[in-house]
Amino acid sequence: MTTISAQFRNYREPTKDEAIREFFNAPPAGPGDIPPTGKDVLEISAVMSLKGEEQSYSGRLYLMPPFLTFVSLDKRSARFTLPLYTIRRVEKVNSRAGMFELALVLWHQMKINVQLTSLRPTADAFCAQLRDALKAQLPQMKRLRPFVRVSYSEHLIKEDGEEYMDGDEDGKDGQDEIDTDDIKEAKTEFLGGLGLTFKFPGDPKKLREKSKLKLWKEYLRTHGRNVTLVRYPSVQRLIQVGLPNKLRGDLWETLSGSIYLRFANPGVYNQILEQHAGETSTSTEDIEKDLNRSLPEYRAYQSEIGIATLRRVLTAYSWKNREVGYCQAMNILVAAILIYMSEEQAFWLLEVLCNRLLPGYYSPSMHGTLLDQKVFESLVSRCLPIISEHFHEVDVQLSVASLPWFLSLYINSMPMIFAFRIVDCFFAMGPKVLFQVGLAILKINGEKLLEIQDDGGFIHLMRDYFNTLGDSAHPHASDPRMRAITNFQELLVVAFREFSVITDDTIISERKRHRQEIVTGIESFSKRAAVRNLKDPGQFKKEQLGAIYDTLYKAICDVSASGSGANAIAQLETIDAQGRAETRIDLKTYRIFLSNVATWARDETVVSNAFVNRVDRTVAEHELIDRMFLFWDPTHRGALSFQDIVTGLNGVMFNDLMSNIEWFFTVHDRDKDGFLSRDDVLQLSESLLFIFRNEIGDAYLGAVSNFMANAFEYGDALQPATNGNAQLAEGEKPPEPPTNTPYLNLATFRMVVLADELLESFFDTDFSATFKLEMAPGPESPSETPGLMAGLGGLLSGFITDENKKTLNRFADELGKSIGRHQVTYRPAIGKVDRDMALQEPKVREPLVSPQMRNRSMSSGSLTSGTSTSSLPTPSSELNTPGFLPPQLPIFPALPERTPFAIDEVKDDEDDEDDEDDLVVTAGDETLDEVDAFLQENAE
Amino acid sequence: MAEAGDAPLDKPVQVKLVLLGEAAVGKSSVVMRFVQNDFSENKEPTIGAAFLTQKCRLEDRVLRYEIWDTAGQERFHSLAPMYYRNAQAAVVVYDITKASSLEKAKSWVKELQRQANPNIVIALVGNKLDLVQSTGAGAAAPAGDEGEEEEPDDATATPGEGAEQAEEGEQSLRQVPKEEAAAYAQEAGLLFAETSAKTGEGVVEVFTEIAKKIPIEHILASVRGGPAGGRAGAGQGRGQPGNVNLQEGAPTGGKACNC
Repeated sequence: MTTISAQFRNYREPTKDEAIREFFNAPPAGPGDIPPTGKDVLEISAVMSLKGEEQSYSGRLYLMPPFLTFVSLDKRSARFTLPLYTIRRVEKVNSRAGMFELALVLWHQMKINVQLTSLRPTADAFCAQLRDALKAQLPQMKRLRPFVRVSYSEHLIKEDGEEYMDGDEDGKDGQDEIDTDDIKEAKTEFLGGLGLTFKFPGDPKKLREKSKLKLWKEYLRTHGRNVTLVRYPSVQRLIQVGLPNKLRGDLWETLSGSIYLRFANPGVYNQILEQHAGETSTSTEDIEKDLNRSLPEYRAYQSEIGIATLRRVLTAYSWKNREVGYCQAMNILVAAILIYMSEEQAFWLLEVLCNRLLPGYYSPSMHGTLLDQKVFESLVSRCLPIISEHFHEVDVQLSVASLPWFLSLYINSMPMIFAFRIVDCFFAMGPKVLFQVGLAILKINGEKLLEIQDDGGFIHLMRDYFNTLGDSAHPHASDPRMRAITNFQELLVVAFREFSVITDDTIISERKRHRQEIVTGIESFSKRAAVRNLKDPGQFKKEQLGAIYDTLYKAICDVSASGSGANAIAQLETIDAQGRAETRIDLKTYRIFLSNVATWARDETVVSNAFVNRVDRTVAEHELIDRMFLFWDPTHRGALSFQDIVTGLNGVMFNDLMSNIEWFFTVHDRDKDGFLSRDDVLQLSESLLFIFRNEIGDAYLGAVSNFMANAFEYGDALQPATNGNAQLAEGEKPPEPPTNTPYLNLATFRMVVLADELLESFFDTDFSATFKLEMAPGPESPSETPGLMAGLGGLLSGFITDENKKTLNRFADELGKSIGRHQVTYRPAIGKVDRDMALQEPKVREPLVSPQMRNRSMSSGSLTSGTSTSSLPTPSSELNTPGFLPPQLPIFPALPERTPFAIDEVKDDEDDEDDEDDLVVTAGDETLDEVDAFLQENAE
Repeated sequence: MAEAGDAPLDKPVQVKLVLLGEAAVGKSSVVMRFVQNDFSENKEPTIGAAFLTQKCRLEDRVLRYEIWDTAGQERFHSLAPMYYRNAQAAVVVYDITKASSLEKAKSWVKELQRQANPNIVIALVGNKLDLVQSTGAGAAAPAGDEGEEEEPDDATATPGEGAEQAEEGEQSLRQVPKEEAAAYAQEAGLLFAETSAKTGEGVVEVFTEIAKKIPIEHILASVRGGPAGGRAGAGQGRGQPGNVNLQEGAPTGGKACNC
């Protein structure tokens, strides 16, 4: 029931090059786009002029394959983003007096001159790169003709039966020759949306469709269109009066840059649909619920045609972008877009919306939405302080009204015809438009806003305002021209005049400023929700659950930061029993998690040199950890949820002696048949050795070899009970049973474990104690207290400076080594250094061990507490490879006398245990019989 | 339409109410039924939350519900605090034909009890009662429902008779037994009712029961910061919902919990 995303933690600001690409609506560079020697973005000062326009603009010219882009110095007046495959010819114009000028001829026959005003070598380098990049894009040119042919803008230009000039008359490149058949065909169809069939919203006469189309036609003829559009100042005005319905989709695609994606990914939309035909997901289910609720007032969505179109686009996108999937409000957006665009166009526009224009708006955490609400709030308090203060006073939250504005680009708030005009500006000028319009709405309603007393009043006021957008803004003005100005026109004027101070950079820096706050908020919210929604919190307290969550979250962040990226995260999202998305972690993440919880699941080295004492921690890998992972995954999904982990930890951290033994047994009982096979026994011994690997002294090594010897002795001894006793009685070596047959049951295992004091103590308390939850700094509190923020912020800053720390550490190590004061010691997992084991009385099963034994164990206990000399018989070195131990070979002289004693006790114990608890239930009568038989045989 | 036309001279008491629950359990339908006495299949989805108001008369007091109908999709969950903060009442809706929706409802209740206004009145509402009632179980159309928009095949039980009778005709579609939900509601201190937004059954009663439980004087005092109109005693006793509900002594749903 919990989703955990590391996305915010790993957020990084775009690089300069990425930011430039974004500015020009260019998709991120693909692997083939950048020449191996070249830089991503090459920049040069230039003066651009377009043939037919008098004005030329100085600005910056960029080469960012596969695009050549330009923007005037004021960043507003003129700009273009030209795909290199639309450039038919580049000529160097006679360069006199150091003047370096390029003449470009584009697909649509426009001629652009760019004068490179940088120094000659820079210009030369730029041209060389341009030449290479152009060559690389040459193959794409072939696809251009069929691609642009179906654009409505082409259709519009040729409408009057004019000659369609899309080729280079010179026929310089053979592939560019005009194919007359193509042109005829092109006249018959063009891309468009549902509006072509179901009529566009609004009255075409009132919207002055015809005159708008005519103006656009003129503009597009001379300034390029679709893939080659060059924006001059007049285009801004044309956009602000509202795009003509028929051309709207075409221009949205061009202005937003989604057309480049569509060109770069031919057929992908249909492939996705085919590939996932018939499949369902949470997203597709959510989509179905909303299909009938997406602009239902528009006729197309009252018919199956419109619904099916909407379904296909939303579903395809949910498959394409699994992390976003589907979010309510996307249906509104797509429904709106589909009125003007074909499915494939809408699909790629949606991609641009989710990835670039509205980043994080629709993601599962909706962090982008929350962030921009915060940004909007801060802009309101800066630009409209009086309103902001009043809202504060009466405790009205801006977001209750403004959230849907941003989430649905005003489409859900305003009458469609007005909202679409805002969308026009949004695609042309970017996200700042949403803020400018929002501020203008508040400013215009300022006086009334100061009278509202609560959220409800705010909503009502806004609703009333939106319903009168078509009314005159100055109904009582004497001048008829003043009276003709509508509220909506006034809104746009205020938005773009008075709030022109809100620029792209404002938005970028405001987002930067508030991101951390949002991240903290979301993280603490999801943590609280995750802890609250646990079905079974086990015996943990709330703070402990919080600590588990933090550790898990940190592990997820570590993994996703280490490069496997978004794909890895997506794989871990599964659906829980209630059909909700749930984050699960894989084995790799689990190892990291466990290493931060269990002392033996990590290798800690204490490094001390002349400068620092520090503990280095690395993640350990062992079969035991893998087995625990499987053991904690009862539903066999191959991944663990937060609940699985809590349940898993709960099953081991609060165990007493008996349940720890059983836990260990079960983890190693691979086939869950209630018996350990010989392999399992070996594995279990290895697990023990793994846990003890860093303990000081040899006592644990001895205990494990002891354990193995006993385990195999009893195991073999019990084996004949089923195979026939005779052979053993004759003193022959028993036949080696197959390594994977049932061998040791729980009762016998327990008996063997309890035969060793050190192991007993290990299972009694030490093992559970190796699990330590590290509480996050700062108290966990239900409300967003500064303490919590500081805590998480601290975590975060720790994360950020990790790299620096490493560098520092390396430096210190080198220095330490050079002066011979570099020391590295392993830190033990149990390390009873501070716990005086010698003083500790065995708590249970005292009679199990003879006084003699106890003494021995106790001395071994004190051994582990620091001293390095051993009074014990040192276990032979082959113990490190327990697999080769002869099963029956006693390692210690003391062993034989211990064995029968222990067994006697075990027998008694089992009687006791039946009263105490039902642990022994797994041991059937048959097993007890086996033990009895063994006892009789070995009775002295 | 359903507004209290001849409201007393008193200014109506504003009560902020938030609707929460899993997607598609019928939150918006319940509100539509209460506010407009209407049930329509196709509605605008709720982005963030839809805002509606409805007046409700209780004895001589008029309550004005300001209803925040929140989006049900899981990812909107983190936005919910924005809507339930300062709320005096919450209706947590689940779908009686979908067991998991009760789980979600429980988690909402938990969250409200921990995060929201400590005096918040919470009602647990199992919606889609019409789906589990066999045809013709109750013949009478609910009186007071002026818009008779129910499909003919939908059973309509008289709200006043409560669900005890309705249960007799239940089919296997039901996944949440009424007793189970009622027991949970009792334990958690919630009002409880089963409703059908489609037929209107039980819907208005939910809001009247809430109205009875709301500490009106407390709200008045806190809002006006002064004398609260001196009508102590109102808000207790039998419900006399205004013309939003013409059933006499109708509410039974709330009986499930009288804490």
